[in-house]
Amino acid sequence: MRGDEVGLNPNEYESICGIMGRSPNDLELGLFGALWSEHCSYKSSKGLLARFGHSGPHVVQGPGENAGVVRLDENLEVAFKVESHNHPSYVEPVQGAATGVGGILRDIIAMGARPIAVADMLRFGTDEKSHAIMRGVVKGVGLYGNAIGIPTVTGDLGVSETYDGNPLVNVLAVGVRRSDARVGAGGACPGQWLLLVGQRTGRDGIHGASLLASRDFSGGDEDLRPTVQVGDPFLGKILMEATLETVSRGLAAAVQDLGAAGLASALAELCHLSKIGAEIWLERVPLRQPGLSPYEIMMSETQERMLLAVSEENLAAALEIFSRYEVLATVIGQGSASQRLILYHNSRIEADVDPDWLTEGAPRQTVDPSYWDALANQRPAVHHPAPSLARDLLLDVLAHPDVRDRFPIYRQYDSMVQTGTVYGPDHDAAVLKVRGSTHGLVLAVAGTGRWAAIDPYAGGAGVVLRVLAALAAQGAVALGLTDGVNAGNPHVKSSYDLMAALFRGVSDAAFAANVPITGGNVSLHNETQGQSIWPTVMMGALGRHSNPLHPISEHLGREGDLIYVVNPAPPNWNGSVAAFLTTGLSSYPRCDLGNVEKLLQAMREWVLSGIPTSVRTIGMGGLAATLVRMMAVSDPSLGVELTLPDEGFAETERFYNEAPLQWVAIVRPDQAEAADEYWRTAGVKMTRIGIVSSQDGIHIANRHDWSRETLLRAWRSLDKEVGW
Amino acid sequence: MARFTAIVTVTLKKDILDPAGEATAHTLQQLGYPVAGVRLGRHVALTMDAADEGAALRLSRQMADALLANPIMETYQVQVESLCELE
Amino acid sequence: MRIGVVTFPGSNCDQDTLDALDTLGVDTLRLWYRDADLAGADAVVLPGGFSYGDYLRSGALAAKSPIMTAIQEAVVDRQLPLLGICNGFQILTEAGLLPGGLRANHHGQFRCDWQRVKVIEASPLFPGLEAGEVLKLPIAHGEGSYYMDEESLQSLFAHGEAWLQYVDADGQAQSWANPNGSVANLAGVARGSVAALMPHPERAMMDILGSDDGHRLLTAWLCGLERRALYARG
Repeated sequence: MRGDEVGLNPNEYESICGIMGRSPNDLELGLFGALWSEHCSYKSSKGLLARFGHSGPHVVQGPGENAGVVRLDENLEVAFKVESHNHPSYVEPVQGAATGVGGILRDIIAMGARPIAVADMLRFGTDEKSHAIMRGVVKGVGLYGNAIGIPTVTGDLGVSETYDGNPLVNVLAVGVRRSDARVGAGGACPGQWLLLVGQRTGRDGIHGASLLASRDFSGGDEDLRPTVQVGDPFLGKILMEATLETVSRGLAAAVQDLGAAGLASALAELCHLSKIGAEIWLERVPLRQPGLSPYEIMMSETQERMLLAVSEENLAAALEIFSRYEVLATVIGQGSASQRLILYHNSRIEADVDPDWLTEGAPRQTVDPSYWDALANQRPAVHHPAPSLARDLLLDVLAHPDVRDRFPIYRQYDSMVQTGTVYGPDHDAAVLKVRGSTHGLVLAVAGTGRWAAIDPYAGGAGVVLRVLAALAAQGAVALGLTDGVNAGNPHVKSSYDLMAALFRGVSDAAFAANVPITGGNVSLHNETQGQSIWPTVMMGALGRHSNPLHPISEHLGREGDLIYVVNPAPPNWNGSVAAFLTTGLSSYPRCDLGNVEKLLQAMREWVLSGIPTSVRTIGMGGLAATLVRMMAVSDPSLGVELTLPDEGFAETERFYNEAPLQWVAIVRPDQAEAADEYWRTAGVKMTRIGIVSSQDGIHIANRHDWSRETLLRAWRSLDKEVGW
Repeated sequence: MARFTAIVTVTLKKDILDPAGEATAHTLQQLGYPVAGVRLGRHVALTMDAADEGAALRLSRQMADALLANPIMETYQVQVESLCELE
Repeated sequence: MRIGVVTFPGSNCDQDTLDALDTLGVDTLRLWYRDADLAGADAVVLPGGFSYGDYLRSGALAAKSPIMTAIQEAVVDRQLPLLGICNGFQILTEAGLLPGGLRANHHGQFRCDWQRVKVIEASPLFPGLEAGEVLKLPIAHGEGSYYMDEESLQSLFAHGEAWLQYVDADGQAQSWANPNGSVANLAGVARGSVAALMPHPERAMMDILGSDDGHRLLTAWLCGLERRALYARG
């Protein structure tokens, strides 16, 4: 076999021969090909990821493990992470999305945490094939999440031509563990048994991640498409229960899930993180069909498998648990003190490598400090002037897929199982109560699309601030962030530069807010026939809620209540849905990052003070769409009487402005003075924009009227093309 | 023209995991049946008018390719039977 | 009084159901699908979820598990009170303990939403839930379309076994209030000591989660169990 057959370039092949001191055999070459792939090694993005801030007072586990972990209270910790399954979802939408959900759940389980929530962050194209993909992906997310019994509590949807042929399926999962039941991939010791549990290994997705996700799709690559992996949420469920029981009884020293690059990656990671070697007896691996070669066994991406390290004294008890759940568990090897991963098949040595060669030995593209510094530089801006306010534009904005109600999607997901969902997918952020704690969790997700199309720095920063603003609106303390970056071909300079600017925006905003990024995922080569997608980052923010049974409202309150915008941005509609629909793409506004941490804290404390009745973060569709979302959950007789400070184009630019860190707040008249005083003291602008009236709909100074029915019909319009 | 029924039997390709088949096999085994494996499929009965049996077969295959089977994961077999001649 | 909640492989509402019963202050125990007896349980709940992944037909494989043999015997021998929720309903029809069957929702999609259901006829199994009463409960299922032929349906109503019906905000069993295509908008049935419903009462135990009507429904069931126990003691 040649290096390029497993996706390695000539330089990489040379360097492998160098570190091994000999030429690799086919299996060894396959191991390097898989582990040094973009998907497993993050070789193009690791230099950028290293720039993120990873530490903070709540962080228990930063990047490097299967998922980041933050502290919730004295006894409980929370693991969370986002993962992408873009290419598999393009090939087979239902199974691609389903196995994406299964995969991220196993990452959480590998940390010893019981999954309590899932969020789906999706991007689709606009052509007919994209509609079919969207239907399939939504079905697949539900297929797995509903069956395994983890609620899908929030999500994000974006639609654009840029995702034609390149849908993005990013899934975030959250799990809870006891702080005295920590586990990870790094705890295995020499002499311990390596237990492979779950599904029998078949010829599923051989080289799926390493080749498919690390190359560009062009018409002629049909032969590279691997056999499709099928998700089995039933086995996933009993595997989860058996694994968590093994962990909670202290029987597993280490746990690693099998995902991309299957056993090859799992063994390399577990050995590397545990600083051990291992001897593996491949003929012991249970097979679904006879005759798999050692190469196929190592590369198979059969789902629903986990690798556990178990000491001799705990082996019988661990096997007993798996047997009780009727989950297959097989000793396939043993840890050693040798720093060698040796693969035997019927007593013959098939491969002999140092696990560190496969993991930290992977090549890495470094990032020059001057390059990083320059990424924050302004790009040539694209700005379009706004027309004065027009009646129909609001309805078009509300009906745009980026803005409209996601109800047709999320009603296909079980959002209530586990009975912790206080605020589900019909809210801006999910609020969850947590078994065994008086604290709850707030989970907010959002992604770029349009926002990062022209100025990725602004979009990356904007989406970080968007999710943190949603936590602040619930009075929650931000514990950590997770990011899913999706971009084009990193070997094309222009494509790499756009992705790097996106990273820089994310990094700067997270530092400005002083919130750590505890882990994430990078998916590259999202490119069809040389056309890269817009660099797209999906952010998830996790916060601690001090009173989850009393979340702050998102409705309009009652007649006579006052409506404010806290921290209104200067009039600017660029980058918004409204601007896009009117004049095409434009540059999303950059935000002053100087005061972010203080501002978020001030909002958090204001919410907890009880002064506002309701608070909702301004997001997609701007102030206009945010008011409609609030109206949708309010007494149907209530409406909004608006008095925007300007007329003409500036009115339009305020109405649709999607700039980050703005909130709509509802305040009772008797609290108005306290509200004014609070924000004056904080040095933050708060503008009164109207009053809650008994005339339903939105009304602007006798010039514009939209009835509630008209607004909600547009916002809840079903997507006929998609077939919902 | 004549009227035909075509039975399209859709099954997962040989190497693709069939979780439903595995779970069904497992239960049958627990009930004491000596079954070694189960693969589930879909039975689709099409009724159509076509010039002759060959045309009905071609038409059925087209429908299977276009919609009834997922070519990424599934294969199918078609059996055509003539029902009656049409005027 | 001890209530057993069965965990089948793939059950995912077993813990929620145990939590809900704990809230109501009743003793509970977990039953395992491979158990051959009911460990002294006075009544049993078959919880929701995806037993055996809903493979073959939802509920079909779980209906053949060892615990179901014990449950069937106890229903026949001593009228064991049995409540099926969602997948539990599917298992009960597959096991022949309740009439009819549950098919894929008519629109082909999984559906998770709030739903109003009306008590068609007061059942001695649920004292306190009066005929005509409307409850707000969540549904979450892909195969909840209740089916039986016309003759059986008439007999079901004639015998007072048609228990719950999907209704609109005005309490009317309109076709558009039917979330899954069930015959006669049926959401729950009851026969002898066995009752089952597709909605999830264990998810509606407090207002902040959307409704506490599940609390009422389960309380009524427990009240029925108490009465039965008192009656048995004379």
